[in-house]
Amino acid sequence: MKKKSLKKVTSAVLVAAMSMGLLAGCGGSKSSEEAKTDADGATVIKFGIHVANPKKQETVTYNIVQGFNKENKGKYKVEFVAADTEAHSKNMKLAAQDGSLPEIVHLDSAEAPEYNEAGYLLDMSDFLKENKDIDDALDGMEDAFNDGKVQYGLPYQSNVQGFFYNKDLFDKAGIAYPTDDTTYDEFLDMIAKLKNSGVTPIAIGSKNSGYSMWEFNEFFSRYGWEDNEKSYTGDKAKYSNDDMNACFEKIKGLADAGAFPENMATIEYFDAKQLFNEGKAAMFGTGQWDCAEFDKNVGEHIGFWWGPKFGDSSYEQNIAMKVPAAPLVVSSAVKDNDKAKEALYAFLKYYYGEEAAKISYEGSIFPATNYDGIAATDSQYAMNAMITALGNGWETPKAAPDQTVTPAVQEAMYDAIFGVMQGTYSPKDALKNMDSAAAN
Amino acid sequence: MKIYHGGPGYKEDERMHWLSKKRYKIGLVIPTLVVYMVFIIIPIGMSIGYSFTKYSGIGKATFNGLTNYMRLFKDRLFWISLKNTMIMFILAFVLLLSLSFLIALLLNNKLKGVDFSKSLIFSPAIIAPIIVGIIWVYILDPNIGIINNVLDAIGASGLKQKWIGGNTLSPYSIAIIYFWQQLGYLVTVFIAGLKMIPGEVLEAVEIDGASFIQKTMYVTIPMMKSTISTVAVLIITGVFKIFEIVQQTTGGGPNHLSETLVTYSYSMTFNSGDYGYGMSLATFTFLLSLVITGIYSILTRERGE
Repeated sequence: MKKKSLKKVTSAVLVAAMSMGLLAGCGGSKSSEEAKTDADGATVIKFGIHVANPKKQETVTYNIVQGFNKENKGKYKVEFVAADTEAHSKNMKLAAQDGSLPEIVHLDSAEAPEYNEAGYLLDMSDFLKENKDIDDALDGMEDAFNDGKVQYGLPYQSNVQGFFYNKDLFDKAGIAYPTDDTTYDEFLDMIAKLKNSGVTPIAIGSKNSGYSMWEFNEFFSRYGWEDNEKSYTGDKAKYSNDDMNACFEKIKGLADAGAFPENMATIEYFDAKQLFNEGKAAMFGTGQWDCAEFDKNVGEHIGFWWGPKFGDSSYEQNIAMKVPAAPLVVSSAVKDNDKAKEALYAFLKYYYGEEAAKISYEGSIFPATNYDGIAATDSQYAMNAMITALGNGWETPKAAPDQTVTPAVQEAMYDAIFGVMQGTYSPKDALKNMDSAAAN
Repeated sequence: MKIYHGGPGYKEDERMHWLSKKRYKIGLVIPTLVVYMVFIIIPIGMSIGYSFTKYSGIGKATFNGLTNYMRLFKDRLFWISLKNTMIMFILAFVLLLSLSFLIALLLNNKLKGVDFSKSLIFSPAIIAPIIVGIIWVYILDPNIGIINNVLDAIGASGLKQKWIGGNTLSPYSIAIIYFWQQLGYLVTVFIAGLKMIPGEVLEAVEIDGASFIQKTMYVTIPMMKSTISTVAVLIITGVFKIFEIVQQTTGGGPNHLSETLVTYSYSMTFNSGDYGYGMSLATFTFLLSLVITGIYSILTRERGE
């Protein structure tokens, strides 16, 4: 009898232990308040980044991190936690729930406020107070990530967005290059001529890359997005109005003119960029992160343009889409970890310092900071084209329109733009979908 | 009556008797049950729980009752993804069940080149679905795909279609891709079933003068009922899990028009950050596959069983 009871107890204990083991395995671990160190005794901080291969895909950031690690060997070390954009977003949400958020994370602007509200992020006001030079160098660009109480992030870089164009293809088609004053009607005329010359006027791909709509942020701004910010952000946002309808009608007009590739639904952003690199497309909407690639593939034939001006809009047309890139945020867990905080602040000082700004310019990326005497070289054709465009001194928005909305509205916005381009939605239906996303 | 009582197999029989005791059966099942609970039942329960909340994946979920389910039935894209799933289900079910059985019948004969044909037909089943998607993009893409380029080359440009990426044909194309991918695997299951039919039964039927069709209709199919049921359930559950092919060929686009229930649930959950609504879609999909499998089981249940 005793033997049987013992067996029962043993079985029960084993089963319970196994169950607990499994549950523990699923539960993950809480971040330790002890700072992690490497074999050299350097304090290690993790950097969650939105690309799978930082060395290739975010070369400048990779070089900045390498520069920091080299300068601080044996003292501090930054290690990447890398995954492609979609996986990164999922991973960071899970890590936040789990308490294992990397010390520093690149977050989408639309998601960052929610992380802040949930208390996952460190207020970086102290860092800026302690580093007045960096605060000055950021020149207000950090305001996009301040909710009035908490400085929950700092801009990763400066994003400059618009149309890149291939001058060679324009020359072959006998068309003048677009200028600051080119109107929408002139743009349509340009598209017709480019199409007749046998090239795709504007390369774009929507498969798994709805986010690749940077050139249309300028459209939204020129139809008064910033002036009507309150109508376009928050829970009661409403997009069905005459301004946005006119804006979407212009996108439809481009589609009707045959501006986009026929297979835009089955190609991705990278495929579309390839069309431009290979000289099969005359224009490509993107930002400065592609400059280095264009230098290599298009070289001195590259040009940059903000986009057309709209005669039917009463809003400011002299807008340069130079905006803060999605923020770098810091895990609130760092607050209780002096060593990690020390390493992190050292890294941020380096990241927003003059040396990193030089590395940025070398890689054709505009840093979030402004320091005198740093410039692109003559062979950085794409970046110089952007610098020329920025030379007009136009006003810049506080943030890109697509970065001011919630993730659900952002997704609906991307869907709306590509839906209108592909003839799936009328402009009115597209805007209704955005309204619904905001209401949900 | 104990066959081995007192004989050399007695000890083995006793051991079997030991295993047949209820408490030991339970003991043996518990580890599997625990794993099943932790990795299947609890996540399903949690998903169902989240389907009654508003949750962005960040911070805390807030209970919102049936709101997500009410929204589901008003959502045009939900109906599109349901329609696409059902198109794929009907096409895949009809084509896969019938053709895989017929091909199995053919390959079960001693014909020249049967082994090579079996390998050829089975080969797509060992390719990862994501690679299957990539292969088919190069076949179906309206611009770079082989089909439209061949049509151009033979002067039949008028027949060119947007096989994927258009507003209509994507779900049909995806069903064909799924058919291509699954055919070999299901043929193999059927061949295994055919091998289980006693040879003497078939010989007797042949001696009685039954034609091939009569033999198939009155002997093979009735004796293959359990295999057919297994294959049917595999198809039903498989169709409700089609994900990678859609992601790779169209990404659910254009504008969600080629979404299935699973990809739309994924899109809502991870792209729109609407975890609560995404989970209500997942719960609906789970229930729908349960219902269809249940209906099929009831319809095919033998009387008196």
